[in-house]
Amino acid sequence: MPPTKQTTRQAITLKGSTALVTEFFKYAVNTILFQREVYPSDDFHMVKKYGQVVLVTQDLALENYLEKILKQVQKWILTGSVTQLVLVILAKETRTALERWVFDIKLVEPVGGEPGESSSKPETEIQSEIRAILKQIVSMVTFLPVMQEEKVFNILAYTSDSADVPVGEWIDTDPLAIEAGKSQQVKLRSFSTDIHRIEAMVAYRYEE
Amino acid sequence: MSAFKTPSRRRVRSEVKTPLTPSLASALNGVTLDSPVKRSSSSIPVTDAFQRQASSGVIRKGGVESRIDVVVLDYVPPPISKPAEVKRSRSTPAIKNVADRDRFITSREHNLETLDPMALNTKSASPGHTARLVEATGVPLNRRILGYHLPPPTASSDTTLALQREFARPLYANRPGSLATSTGSTTNKTRKISTQPERVLDAPGLVDDFYLNLVSWSSLNCVAVSLDTSTYIWKADTGAVVQMGEAPSGTYVSSVNFSADGAFLGIGLGTGEVELWDVERGVKLRTMAGHQAQIAVLSWYSHLLSSGCGDGSVWHHDVRVPRHKVMELLGHNGEVCGLQWRKDGELIASGGNDNVVNIWDGRVGDTPVGGDTVATGNAKWTKRNHTAAVKALAWSPWQPNLLASGGGTNDATINVWNSTTGARLHTVTTPSQITSLHFSPHKKELLSTHGYPTNAIGVWSYPSLEKVAEIRDAHDSRVLYSAISPGGDMVVTGAGDESLKFWRIWDTTSETKKTKTARLEGATRSGVLSLR
Repeated sequence: MPPTKQTTRQAITLKGSTALVTEFFKYAVNTILFQREVYPSDDFHMVKKYGQVVLVTQDLALENYLEKILKQVQKWILTGSVTQLVLVILAKETRTALERWVFDIKLVEPVGGEPGESSSKPETEIQSEIRAILKQIVSMVTFLPVMQEEKVFNILAYTSDSADVPVGEWIDTDPLAIEAGKSQQVKLRSFSTDIHRIEAMVAYRYEE
Repeated sequence: MSAFKTPSRRRVRSEVKTPLTPSLASALNGVTLDSPVKRSSSSIPVTDAFQRQASSGVIRKGGVESRIDVVVLDYVPPPISKPAEVKRSRSTPAIKNVADRDRFITSREHNLETLDPMALNTKSASPGHTARLVEATGVPLNRRILGYHLPPPTASSDTTLALQREFARPLYANRPGSLATSTGSTTNKTRKISTQPERVLDAPGLVDDFYLNLVSWSSLNCVAVSLDTSTYIWKADTGAVVQMGEAPSGTYVSSVNFSADGAFLGIGLGTGEVELWDVERGVKLRTMAGHQAQIAVLSWYSHLLSSGCGDGSVWHHDVRVPRHKVMELLGHNGEVCGLQWRKDGELIASGGNDNVVNIWDGRVGDTPVGGDTVATGNAKWTKRNHTAAVKALAWSPWQPNLLASGGGTNDATINVWNSTTGARLHTVTTPSQITSLHFSPHKKELLSTHGYPTNAIGVWSYPSLEKVAEIRDAHDSRVLYSAISPGGDMVVTGAGDESLKFWRIWDTTSETKKTKTARLEGATRSGVLSLR
């Protein structure tokens, strides 16, 4: 009896952690889209989240688009088949990548081991870590290069070969990388739940 | 992973021997440029032969290439590339290991150097390029990079929506200088005025209509206010309320105004009649009919009661004579909603829904003998600077030729005119619709009341027209009506939130202040009073 109980508890934690991570992506993506002015600022409204104000789009089309993507990402996180999520900001005309916001998704605790022993992290602590990342994203605006041109964005998911991919919805794509010689990278903070660890990084085009 | 990558490395090395590398091509170009004579003599056959060799994959000795002797020099496989390759291939799957990753990043810089010529190869589909990208992004190759099949939606740039936003902007305009959390009162350093009303009177049924003028304050310290069909007099000295009768059924009161001595009250009706009431006795003296539309505004000078009508006409009624209509002023295409006699009766200013301000000579011409015809006046000045209805008009008490006028929502501008020369002396743009204007009797200041979005009372210095003080959100809805007390220190405002508020805007001498407060203490500390 106890083992089954523990596995159910674990399943719930995995689900909870996945939901938490997915939710973080939603707000992180919204924050980036707002801060980097990919969409006009009056499309966004303020929402209280993680004990602070976060700007979330009210553009219905964009909302649905992100929701569809995140729904699939959530499935992948649940099965552990996604390792990285990248938000690429491209110049609309030339399709060159200007910024890549990279979120590494890592499993903290491989399945097995001693599940009951892991010290569970209080949610407030996780939230404060998330808050720190979002604040860092906001503060990045101060030194990231100004992007004059029209911008579009693209979300890439780096999955394992074995990942279930809905046919026709997700397609293999170019990594939309920035040429190594013209790229600068900044590592952001990270946060972790009991299951997942998210490490954030931004690479941006920088030409002297 | 390595199974994928190793061929790419092999290919890099094999390219050294093949003639079609970009570097060779550029080298060839360089040669031909260096010796144009040679090129002109043998360019076509050489290229031809070269192409044949290239397609066959064999290079004959003694050809152009061997003479150039650049092939060997260009692509020397760097010795460090081999260990780097080993490291890379080993590190790829072990992305979880931080130590490995660190080493991987360090080695990348080596690789970049050696692989730099590859950047010339613009065919990004080549495995070598992919490998380079893999390094640049730090992502192993056994992963799939997936993107959603639809491009993200473009930002909504609906033109009709943008247009609507443009139209609605005055209503949702930023309240300048206000914080998001501000309760709405800002006062200039130079002078502080109380942002709290001295008294609030409940005025149920007070009509929320920009064009009407429903509040008046007499020289006998009585406030008249019309609540839909009935008019009430509130005696400020005693706090007593007297009803001045009802409008005839089917209509409503659209304007009230006290005569200069405070003994008579003119009431304009929605049907076009003008009633004359005796304030002291509370009886109606006469009804002066003739107008065909709503009387939105009334103004007195001595025995002349002037009425502004919905059809754009202004009539002077002589209240002493049976044939009351003594003059007609025709100069507006829209409803007249602002009308103000100058104190000395020399001039009368009118403003209308046609955005025009007219200044008329106040002298009444001789009525032609017989018939119904009356004298008509011509406007002395016609001002078309406003871009919205002009309801707010005020003559300066201390400089007779000054007239201030304020426009509605789309204009929101105060203009000050010289009525002698017709010149526009000052202009100031405010954030919101101007519903009324008053000059202070004792100070060189101008008071304005505003509609959305500030619902404010503003005080401006004259002639600089700098904001001296402002009471934001004086009412819960737009401030529509206002009147100044006979003492010149208090202002009463009425608004669509069905209340009258009394504000102490200008402190006169401290003595009078003391008596005023004493009086207020006695009469109305009970808070909200009801007029009904």
